[in-house]
Amino acid sequence: MHPPSESSPSSPASIDDLRALYAKESIALEQSFARTSDGVAAIRRRSTLVDTLVRRMLPLASHGKDAAELMAAIAVGGYGRKELFPYSDVDILYLFATPAAEEAHKQVVRNANQIMWDIGLRASPVSRAVKECERLQTGNVEFTLSLLDARFVAGNEALARQLQSQVLPALIPREWTRLTEDVAELARSRHKKYGDTIFQLEPNIKESPGGLRDHNLAHWLQTFLHIREHGGMPGSNAAATPPREDAEAAFEFIADARCFLHFRNKRDDNVLSWNAQDEAAAQSIGLETAGTADPAYWMRTYYRHARAVYRRVTLMLDALPATRLSFYKTIRRRRSPIPGTDFFLEDGRIDVDDNAPLSDADSILRLFCIIAVQGHSLSQRAEDRIAEVFPMLDLHMPEGPFLWNVLREILLGPHAAHALRSMHAIGILEMLIPEFHGIDALVVRDSYHRYTVDEHTFVAIHNIHLLRQPSSEWEHRFASLVKDVDRLDLFLLAILMHDTGKARRNADHTLQSVELADGLLARLDFDPEERQTVRRLIRNHLEMSSTLRRDIFDPETVRSFAEKTGSQMYLRMLTLMTYADIKAVHPDALTPWKAENLWQLYIATSNYMDRSVDEERFHVKSDAALHRSIASLVSKQNDRLANFLDGLPQRYLQTRRPDMIRDHFEMSLGIVEHGARVVLRPMRQLYELTLVTQDRPKLFADVAGALSAWGMNIIKADAFSNDAGTVVDTFLFTDIYKTLELNPTEMERFQKSIEGIASLRTAIEPLLRSRRQGANGANKVKMEPRIEYDNESSTHSTLLQIMAPDAPGLLRRLALAFAENDCNIKVALIDTEGEVAVDVFYLDRNGEKLDGEMQHLLAGSVYEAMDPAFSTLA
Amino acid sequence: MQKIEAIIQPSKLDAVKDAVLEAGVDGITILEARGHGRQKGHTEFYRGREYTVDLLPKIKLEIVVGDELVDKVVDAIVGAARTGKIGDGKIFISPIAEAIRIRNDERGPTAL
Repeated sequence: MHPPSESSPSSPASIDDLRALYAKESIALEQSFARTSDGVAAIRRRSTLVDTLVRRMLPLASHGKDAAELMAAIAVGGYGRKELFPYSDVDILYLFATPAAEEAHKQVVRNANQIMWDIGLRASPVSRAVKECERLQTGNVEFTLSLLDARFVAGNEALARQLQSQVLPALIPREWTRLTEDVAELARSRHKKYGDTIFQLEPNIKESPGGLRDHNLAHWLQTFLHIREHGGMPGSNAAATPPREDAEAAFEFIADARCFLHFRNKRDDNVLSWNAQDEAAAQSIGLETAGTADPAYWMRTYYRHARAVYRRVTLMLDALPATRLSFYKTIRRRRSPIPGTDFFLEDGRIDVDDNAPLSDADSILRLFCIIAVQGHSLSQRAEDRIAEVFPMLDLHMPEGPFLWNVLREILLGPHAAHALRSMHAIGILEMLIPEFHGIDALVVRDSYHRYTVDEHTFVAIHNIHLLRQPSSEWEHRFASLVKDVDRLDLFLLAILMHDTGKARRNADHTLQSVELADGLLARLDFDPEERQTVRRLIRNHLEMSSTLRRDIFDPETVRSFAEKTGSQMYLRMLTLMTYADIKAVHPDALTPWKAENLWQLYIATSNYMDRSVDEERFHVKSDAALHRSIASLVSKQNDRLANFLDGLPQRYLQTRRPDMIRDHFEMSLGIVEHGARVVLRPMRQLYELTLVTQDRPKLFADVAGALSAWGMNIIKADAFSNDAGTVVDTFLFTDIYKTLELNPTEMERFQKSIEGIASLRTAIEPLLRSRRQGANGANKVKMEPRIEYDNESSTHSTLLQIMAPDAPGLLRRLALAFAENDCNIKVALIDTEGEVAVDVFYLDRNGEKLDGEMQHLLAGSVYEAMDPAFSTLA
Repeated sequence: MQKIEAIIQPSKLDAVKDAVLEAGVDGITILEARGHGRQKGHTEFYRGREYTVDLLPKIKLEIVVGDELVDKVVDAIVGAARTGKIGDGKIFISPIAEAIRIRNDERGPTAL
């Protein structure tokens, strides 16, 4: 029981005296806040002032009768907690021993209420008999909650003691289920009203998620648990849980801000409007430093506090123990250890024992991989314990491939955003990626950004994972692109880092993000190609949004965007990044209108890329800069470089790094001696084979056939040639039988085999006969093969696009069909979407485009090659 | 008072917005729209599928101004949105009976 803060006055006072006292003290209180901005001091002082007024007005209300005999005046709710904000109502309970006593003294309560209003207090009184407080009132759980903060002010103290020491400790365990369910429902519907997010442009600091009501809710839930465990109110024994530091800090900030708002608006208005934010920042309300703060910085501080409060209360709501359990819940509640960690899974949450050592950084990081994959949440205790061991973790923080493997697993998990948020809340994300610190709770202060920059990043990552289960038509379209992103891990890493540069103001944030990402990429030990992928995505992540503001149906817009983009893979990633980025600005930012435009720009650019390859070729005379840049990498035979580069499609140059072009040039120098040069490069899940040789009939067919004969499944390929007839063919394939992985010595034999076949030193027929056929089995995709000619896009070639179920040897059969019809492949762009082959060939015949008759003739051969009945290698 | 409704190319939004603000307009409503006039749509084939765009993306602006400002605003829109090609858009003008500011019930041109 809280004792009265001051003894009852001996002399009765008049209402005028009390009104004058209240007015005088209220002015003093406002002046004091204006000097100190100390909200907690202000609400304590007002509570004490109101205590005094209540004690002195009660004799007036009871007309001289001793109030101590009639009833107890008890402060409840915020007033009970001594948190009476400047313009808040005064919640007061008049408690009587019996309903009869309550009925008999109704007039006293009426008088008290009238006097309080006369004094100038906005009284919100309620009268009850003790018995009425013993049960939970249907639809009025708020009344029981307000009793949790009951504090005796005046009158019959024994009644107040009875309420606290007997009524509440009995009521709460008895009504546990209804009480907790009602409280949880109340909180969840309030959270839902605000979109279940703390990120409001103009938050209501009382009602919004993470606001004052959530702070109080955490306190009430703590009280529930305390009563259930110890049988008494907190404070009545030594076992009361001390408040958490972050909760106290958040409360102090919110108290300062709410007092500021009340004094500013002269009423109980708790909305932090745009202008109020400016003024609060200008006065550094709630900040430790004096002077003028930037509004964005001030709101950042608010969001940090709100995040701590919201996280705590949602964890507590989720962890509320139930009394009756279903069979399923009983199973869920069983405790099962998580292998390789000190943690266990219980009731769907990851928890840890108080005495678990937690000495192993790896196992803690592994925990977040599990969260990313399975979507579990950490218990409050687990979060607190992990936070405790920070210094130890810091000493053993992993880098290089180990760190990347952890990050990669987290990013690829369907619940990646959830795992990243947990890591961020505890501080682990910033320990692994200090570059992320700058955007922690960073506010983009405009009317359309709903989230802070860190949350925007997590939402963007989540948007990509949501495409695993697309619902709308356009989600299905974008989802089809995700499947074709080879390095989804690098793509998601780029999203994670794409806005980190926003922390550095007054500069192009994309460049700053690249700079920040560079540090991380170096620590992750990425190879140059991986670095380039991530850097390019970050650097250009606004490029598509910017193009969308132009006329996307203008061929020049598409051409210009395609040139900047370079490759189909990069276009896919950029499209998805734009999709995820716009959608993460606020829930309605990606309107169907914008989504449709984004898709139209994607397909127009994709088609342009496939149909313009041989139009745009490189010539040393017109672009000497690129020639010089490659030449600087070449140690010898520099004079032959121009011959190699002349006539190569721009597409080839855009999709290869200068050092790769240099390597291809050096391979071309060996053609005279060896006939063909082949380089095999293992990638993560694929192999990349590059062949440089002199063009000849059936070359593409033979190499494709040789790869299939070795049991390799070609996923992608492209074939380019220069003016001198030197071809650079690249094949990306999977090793179905793991021939190369299990027999490393076969690598050399494999390369020699391809070189031999390309240079005609080895005949392909014996290889085709000796190898397995129909290795892939039946294709699950049922679709009619389809071909499409385009005689317009290229001035030199006829484009043939084919779509057919992928099958072993398909590429060879197609290439043979071209060769048999004397058609020359000038460019080939081979792609596979799931089990569907999507290939584009640039063909000519005797240096001319294919006329209608030839197209018809070739179509017959091509359809035959695509027929599954011919699914063999020969 | 007159209402000016302008259908323009999305790529011209920034230029038109700047021009009408320069012409003295205080408030503007911008809507994402789709439609076509004489400029018909087109069909794009992508990976074997046909994507027909028969309704092209447009931006619709709604501006209510006093009678004296109408010509100036229309000129501003035309000047900023015109490329001379088909598909530049249309402007419609219609009379407005009353304007009411919800916040304080202010009525007439001063409520604009």
